[in-house]
Amino acid sequence: MSHFLLNILLALTWAALTGGFTPANLLLGFGLGFLALQVARRPLGQTGYFSTLPRMAAFVFFFLVEMIIANLRVAADVLTPRWHMRPRVLAVPLEAATDVEITLLANLVSLTPGSLNLDVSSDRRVLYVHAMYADDPELVRRQIKEGFERRLLRITRGLEREDEP
Amino acid sequence: MSTGGVTSVVFGALILAFLLAFVRLARGPSLPDRVVALDLMATLAVGFIATYAVATGQALYVDLALVLALVAFLGTVAFAHYIEKGGRSWRRI
Amino acid sequence: MAAYLSAAFMLIGAAFMLIAALGVVRFPDLFMRLHASTKSATLGVGCLMVAAALQFESLAITTRALAVVVFLFLTAPVGAHVLGRAAYFSRIPLWDGTLSDDLRGHYDASTHALAGPEAPRVPLPEEVDEEQGA
Repeated sequence: MSHFLLNILLALTWAALTGGFTPANLLLGFGLGFLALQVARRPLGQTGYFSTLPRMAAFVFFFLVEMIIANLRVAADVLTPRWHMRPRVLAVPLEAATDVEITLLANLVSLTPGSLNLDVSSDRRVLYVHAMYADDPELVRRQIKEGFERRLLRITRGLEREDEP
Repeated sequence: MSTGGVTSVVFGALILAFLLAFVRLARGPSLPDRVVALDLMATLAVGFIATYAVATGQALYVDLALVLALVAFLGTVAFAHYIEKGGRSWRRI
Repeated sequence: MAAYLSAAFMLIGAAFMLIAALGVVRFPDLFMRLHASTKSATLGVGCLMVAAALQFESLAITTRALAVVVFLFLTAPVGAHVLGRAAYFSRIPLWDGTLSDDLRGHYDASTHALAGPEAPRVPLPEEVDEEQGA
């Protein structure tokens, strides 16, 4: 079912990109989207599409706000003559397990408050992060784990409810 | 302020940013520092093209920005691979 | 209205890009320069692309502009990761003010594998040299 919706989305994207919402163009987009989904069948898997979409929207909003805060903080540090940063390289234990989850989490970590993903350990259980404002390393770890990882896993796994820890 | 005035200010800021990135490119001190500067310049160029599209009213330039955004990333990855696997000889560069 | 909004986005974007460039010049070590160039420059370009999309008010251009933004948001962190990893691996020094470094001694020099924090530290080459010299 979710694949069908994705396919429609791909068809609409194709029509938007080529700039013509003619039936023939949409049909062509649908065909190409079908081929693309065929290629990406394995990583997409089965998901609860309908509950995931609003969470995704909320997550995108949360992420944009965090990103703007992060930038203002960096900007403040760039523009004032004294350094305020307390950098550390930290190991953050990972709960995210699949490739998609780890990649998304690492990207989000890099784009938001004072943390930059450096590497993931070879056994994929630890994320190494360069944090700029890490007076308290536990606080940084908690921000990453509770701020991003939990929200992200709720979307990618789509099973847990809001009231669960 | 008119759109022309705004784009002029933006162009000025971007050119200043280019010059600053060039300072880092020239000063180094290590090759990764220079790669950061080059990466930043590519990102600045994408922004520059977008602003140019607005300034001239030519929507076609947005396509150029798209292509540059797609390609610029590959350079950084290639450099990083070279730094990681390429031994120590670059240290003096 | 769209024109004013577009102008505002352009000015904000330009400011962020200028801040990114200033950060790349001013910050004391490579990793903090990466912070500046990934976060601020990406957001700056994002603002400029939104400005362009608002200016043209056409579906095709908006889609392209959003594609640029999404692509940059996906690739900038990946670029920072590969570069940061490579730099750390070739032991680019961290800033003197760095408080702690969990990554130190966890890379395997020959296989480039990275162990978890509970693994025993691999001695760095200069430490091995000291032991042999002593």
